[in-house]
Amino acid sequence: MTLVHFELLSAALFSLGVYGVLARRSAVMILMAVELMLNAVNVNLVAFAAFRDIPVATGQVIAIFVITIAAAEVGLALAIIMRLFRSRGSVNVDEIDLMKG
Amino acid sequence: MEQAWLIPLYGVIAFAVLALFRGFLPWQGKHLSLLAALAAFVTFWPVLFDMVGRGVGLYHFPRDWFTAGDLSVGWGIIVDPLTVVMLGLVTFVALAVQVYSLSYMRHHGADDPRIGWYYAVHSLFAASMLVLVLADNLLLLYVGWELVGLCSYLLIGFWHERPAAAEAAKKAFITTRLGDVGLLIGIVLLVVEFGTFDIGTIMAGVADGGANGAVVTASAFLIFLGAMGKSAQFPLHVWLPDAMEGPTPVSALIHAATMVVAGVFLVARLFPLYEAVGSAQLAIAAVGIVTVFVGASLALVETDLKRILAYSTVSHLGFMMLALGAGSLTAAIFHLLTHGIAKAMLFLAAGSIMHAMDGQTDIRRMGGLRKRMPVTAAAFTLGALALSGIPPLSAFWSKDEILVAVAGGLHPAFLVALLAAIALSALYMARTLRLVFFGELSRENERVRESPLPMVGPLAVLGALTVGIGVLALPLGGGYEGIGSFLYDAVGGPHPFELNVLWTVVGTTLAVGGLGTGWWLYDSRPDLVAAVRTRLSGVHRVLVERLYMDAAYQWTIDQVVLRVSRGLALFDRRIVNEGAVDGTGRVVMETGKRLRYHVTGVFSDYGSAMVAGVGVVALLLWLRA
Amino acid sequence: MGLVLFYIAGAVTLFGAIGVVTTRNVVYGALFLLVSLAGVAGAFVLLYAEFLALVQVLIYGGGITVVILFALMLTRTAEYEGPGENRRWPLAAAVSIALFSLLAFAFVSDAGRYNSATRSAIDVEELGRVLFEQWALPFEIVSIVLIVALIGAVVIGRAGPEEDEPEPGPGGAAR
Repeated sequence: MTLVHFELLSAALFSLGVYGVLARRSAVMILMAVELMLNAVNVNLVAFAAFRDIPVATGQVIAIFVITIAAAEVGLALAIIMRLFRSRGSVNVDEIDLMKG
Repeated sequence: MEQAWLIPLYGVIAFAVLALFRGFLPWQGKHLSLLAALAAFVTFWPVLFDMVGRGVGLYHFPRDWFTAGDLSVGWGIIVDPLTVVMLGLVTFVALAVQVYSLSYMRHHGADDPRIGWYYAVHSLFAASMLVLVLADNLLLLYVGWELVGLCSYLLIGFWHERPAAAEAAKKAFITTRLGDVGLLIGIVLLVVEFGTFDIGTIMAGVADGGANGAVVTASAFLIFLGAMGKSAQFPLHVWLPDAMEGPTPVSALIHAATMVVAGVFLVARLFPLYEAVGSAQLAIAAVGIVTVFVGASLALVETDLKRILAYSTVSHLGFMMLALGAGSLTAAIFHLLTHGIAKAMLFLAAGSIMHAMDGQTDIRRMGGLRKRMPVTAAAFTLGALALSGIPPLSAFWSKDEILVAVAGGLHPAFLVALLAAIALSALYMARTLRLVFFGELSRENERVRESPLPMVGPLAVLGALTVGIGVLALPLGGGYEGIGSFLYDAVGGPHPFELNVLWTVVGTTLAVGGLGTGWWLYDSRPDLVAAVRTRLSGVHRVLVERLYMDAAYQWTIDQVVLRVSRGLALFDRRIVNEGAVDGTGRVVMETGKRLRYHVTGVFSDYGSAMVAGVGVVALLLWLRA
Repeated sequence: MGLVLFYIAGAVTLFGAIGVVTTRNVVYGALFLLVSLAGVAGAFVLLYAEFLALVQVLIYGGGITVVILFALMLTRTAEYEGPGENRRWPLAAAVSIALFSLLAFAFVSDAGRYNSATRSAIDVEELGRVLFEQWALPFEIVSIVLIVALIGAVVIGRAGPEEDEPEPGPGGAAR
């Protein structure tokens, strides 16, 4: 396998994640799609780190940071979703259009 | 002579002090103004003697003011015979009038409540007129010109609570404004052509003949337009009769002796220009003679004493312009001097009558007043006789000069008209004299008394001058060969006095004849007068309606000026305001209203937009690499 | 051999991903996510990044997925099913397909530009040293971020005065 294989995997995963973020109805589903996107990024990073003449650890280190931040973000996002659910009774993003111009 | 600039300065200082501090000064500071006028008159004499001592001629004392690019403007003075004559006239009459006003502007024992402002503007006027006369460049002259116009407006409308006065002031200012436009354009043309405001330089350049003929001709006509406005030449004369709404001393000073002659002075000052443009000079003569007739005929049918004198002034200003048109600066300025003295006196006499009769001006209510106001009557008679041209009174000499000039310098038609005009002038003077001072003293006028000294005094002095100043025409010895040797233009050259027997006799005969006829008509044959009036009722009507000129002006204003104004106002409102200004705002608002719908509130849309944007950026970055 | 393993890992990952973005049942979605994450862990192993694969499984699988499931249970959104997609899904599909095309095209056309055949491993020891030496500052900052997120989540999620949970119905009336 070559780098391109991993890159394509990452691209596909990322695009699926984008679709999920833009097309899902429930806020929690959107959150999960965001996780997919983050994973795709990680795959890419680690692949770039590995396919070198002289390997560097930078890619993996960044990937670690990404995972950490993702965890923090999920926690906060879920708190917000819970709040949203409590005040509105649903997490349907179709109904959240208060900014409608 | 170098200090001649002091003469206007007194007036400026007096104006400033009175304008700002009259509330704090005793008698609102009127005595300060009087003092300034006296100082100006006193300073005139050393200037005169200095010039005579150093040799009669033109002295130029330039002083730099500012420079803008290539153009350098100064505020220097010219002292020449023309200037000196004007200086003497203006300072003297201004002083006389201010003294006269001490008494005239008191009603029922107390000063007019705004006496301080009255004297302030008087001082400013005198100063401005003197600046105009002394100016060595067109810009400074124009400043003086505009200021005298302003002072005239302020003084005509002094009793501004009276609507007639306010209207008259407006009319005066606007009518002269029409002329002033011409003056300004003419000045600008000259400045552009010659690169300087300096009068001496411009006149030399014109005489050289090297300048653009069209520009010179155009500016000559345009500047004369300005002169027409200020000097009440036909058809811009309509403001002068109405200006009588102002206090009588104002009429005496501004509308007889000084401001109205500014136009004549202007042409005289720029005489080389008019000698170079023959067509303009001819036009001046034509306008002059027409004005003489318009003034004289309208004076004949007027019943308001001051208005009669106003039309008489118009007529005599026409005489002056005619003289200039005939090429004689001597005759014109000499007549300016004699007429100024005599007419000022006539106005002051009229004021004396009005003061004694509680403001009455209708001559039909007068009659026989010589029995109650002998000094006033004597003064008025002298003035009337002088202006009709009776020797040896002053104006006879100047009218004689005019006659000689016209006979020698213009087409015979002008001469014929002039002779007729001399007779007509005498006629209306006789009428006025008879109707006001002679005949029966009516019952209600029994209580009329002669006026107090501050009013009668100046009358007496001016009367003496009216009789005596004619001698200036004659060679008086000591190197003085007559007025022609003192005051002359480049073409005519200095000319010593000669008695031209033919014209003297003709002129005097016409004058006497006119006076006699008038006297006879109005004294012995009032029935004949009435009969003429009925037979020529059409003519009479036209004259009484002042040739319908006011109506004509009003029609022009209504139909032409106001229409154009309304059209422009509509354009400004519709196209500029609503279209351009409001329209821009509305376009923005409408665009905003359309654009707001892209803010859908749907999170997914925003996300799609972000992804699309990122994609575009990524694409661009990739393509660059 | 390696290629086959790659295809397996890839298939698992993508299968899970498709599941996440398609299913109507949120709990199923969470589980599909877990599958996808496992696939990614496999990819990491193939890239000689075993430590990272471990971290992936532990944090994502053991931490994040569990948290998501907890949240689902607590908000009772699992109790009903509705259409999975929101009203903008065609646009979303278009955008994501476009994005994938762009990325794929870019990756493939640039393939010859760098060494893309050999992969090498990184020592865990090496990783640790780099992490705590070169990247010490970001490490600390990330720690702070975690604290902040923790506190924030507590604050936001805390029960407030409006705490009667309304009946969840289809669509759920906004106030």
